[in-house]
Amino acid sequence: MSTANDSAGARLILNIYIGLFCLYLFLPLAVMSAAAFNAYDYPSVTQWRGFTLQWFVALAHDGRLIQGLINSVMVALGVIVVSIPCGLAGALILTRLGQRSGTVLYSVLVSPVLTPGIILGISSLIFWREFGVPGGLFVAVMAQSSFIASYAMLLFLARLQRQDRTLEEAALDLGASHMLVFRRITLPFLAPTAFTAAVVAFLQSFENYNTTVFAIGGEWTLVTEIASRLRFGLSPVINVVGVIFVALTLVAATTYVLLSSRKKKAH
Amino acid sequence: MASLFRAYGRGLGVLLLAIAALWILALIVVPLGAMIEQSLWWKDSKGDITLQIDRLYNDMATLQLDAAGETDAARKAGFEAQIAQKQALATELEAQETNPPKTYGLANFTRMSALHFYIFVRTIFYALMVTALALVVCYPMAYAVALASGPRKAIVLTVALIVPYAINELLRVYAWLMILDYRGVINGILAWLGMVDLDNRGWIPFLENPSAVFLAMIYTYVLFMVFPMVNTLETLDRNQIEAARDLGASSFRIHRRVIIPHAKPGIAVGCIMTFMLSAGSYSVPAIMTRGQGGDWFSQLVYRQFYESNNWNMGSAYAVSLLVVCTAFILIMMRLFGVGLRDIAK
Repeated sequence: MSTANDSAGARLILNIYIGLFCLYLFLPLAVMSAAAFNAYDYPSVTQWRGFTLQWFVALAHDGRLIQGLINSVMVALGVIVVSIPCGLAGALILTRLGQRSGTVLYSVLVSPVLTPGIILGISSLIFWREFGVPGGLFVAVMAQSSFIASYAMLLFLARLQRQDRTLEEAALDLGASHMLVFRRITLPFLAPTAFTAAVVAFLQSFENYNTTVFAIGGEWTLVTEIASRLRFGLSPVINVVGVIFVALTLVAATTYVLLSSRKKKAH
Repeated sequence: MASLFRAYGRGLGVLLLAIAALWILALIVVPLGAMIEQSLWWKDSKGDITLQIDRLYNDMATLQLDAAGETDAARKAGFEAQIAQKQALATELEAQETNPPKTYGLANFTRMSALHFYIFVRTIFYALMVTALALVVCYPMAYAVALASGPRKAIVLTVALIVPYAINELLRVYAWLMILDYRGVINGILAWLGMVDLDNRGWIPFLENPSAVFLAMIYTYVLFMVFPMVNTLETLDRNQIEAARDLGASSFRIHRRVIIPHAKPGIAVGCIMTFMLSAGSYSVPAIMTRGQGGDWFSQLVYRQFYESNNWNMGSAYAVSLLVVCTAFILIMMRLFGVGLRDIAK
């Protein structure tokens, strides 16, 4: 594939810019990771007191962070359970509606993506209090699901656009029931997307702070716990959490790059 | 509706509609309505009610004394009737005191103090600055990913952009906090160079400057600006660029006349997302300023809910923020001629 043939000078400037941009992206993460191994109780890389793993041990003994991790996972699983069926139903309905009647419904279902996260948290908090449910893990699940379901719906919609409808119609003509067609044709076609949507939902939920902080009330997730600690000062234990995230992400990213370049070669 | 039942059958169609209706009602529309309703009323706790009640009890005590010293039965009954009457009034006022009646109106919006209104306006201004800066910083990157690299480099760059995003938003902010803190990396390096003196608190207070929040915010939301632009730029036919070059256009002119016009929808979407995220961001300002730098509006909203415990006022603040974000989205959509379907890609 040809690249836009800029002049050599412009190309050099662009490459330098890309380099700087990548530095901006990765240097903070590198600094954060390095400080997790420093034997100094303030996270620092400029005052190096020797390599240590003591902060990893401290994290393992940190009850509130561990409980926060468990809460985060539970909330994320709850979000998957709520948002995938919602997103699926929304997408299936929208693909069958006409352009005009579909637009209003579409706007409503997509609006949470364009709403600031704190608004979603606040409105859920107020809504559920009417039913006597105070802020907590349940309200957090509901608040997060309102916009994560929209993301799931967009993924399903994109997949449904590539669907060959004649297959379903043929099955119906041959006397299959609607339920059977749905189970044997539509669902298997959407299954890979459902998996992707579940992964996206999990990640979105896990890292969410702005919505959760309002909906969580007296309970906490890993992220809200980290945030409330940062008010009192920095601790290398937080860096350890960061290192774990960085490591997991890098493994996932390298796998992805290797897989996609192998796919390219196979073609 | 009919097409829906034709496609999925009656049973399944009804089920899908029920799920979607539940989503719309329980997760989107009614909670939003509840928040707006909450912003439209308040309860007056008037000090003079307490005063009135005190006066009534004083009167009753006097009347009781009068009644006790009275021998005439008719007049005694008269006093006791008065006492009962005042007691009833006092009970009613006491009920109002503990649970004052709701008053509906716009006072929660108009009562915003001058300082809070200033912070509100400043937050909008800051969010616009973040959006503009992010656009300038991200455009070359989007161009590089979409048009100026081979497929392999494009994949690597894409992954490089996603990796920081996949790492928790909060930890991304934390990384910047570490760098810019009083005893952070930059001050550490400056101290090592002998330019600042950490032992005597001679550090440079980066975190007290609003640009620290900008820096971390752009870092945090960079992806939402880059990817919409990459998406639209990828659809640009590269032959158009080559044609322009063959006709003698400079690089600058090609960007201005060919590439940027084509990227318009992506620019609009990127700006909408970045503005919405930064205007409503609680995490970045709360962590980066730690109460030292200037507040952002989201922090005021949080305090109304969790410190002042004034949900009505907090809701009014939240509604104001929502109105501004919605207005921004509508204006951008009108200006750039994009629809909702373009945004949600």
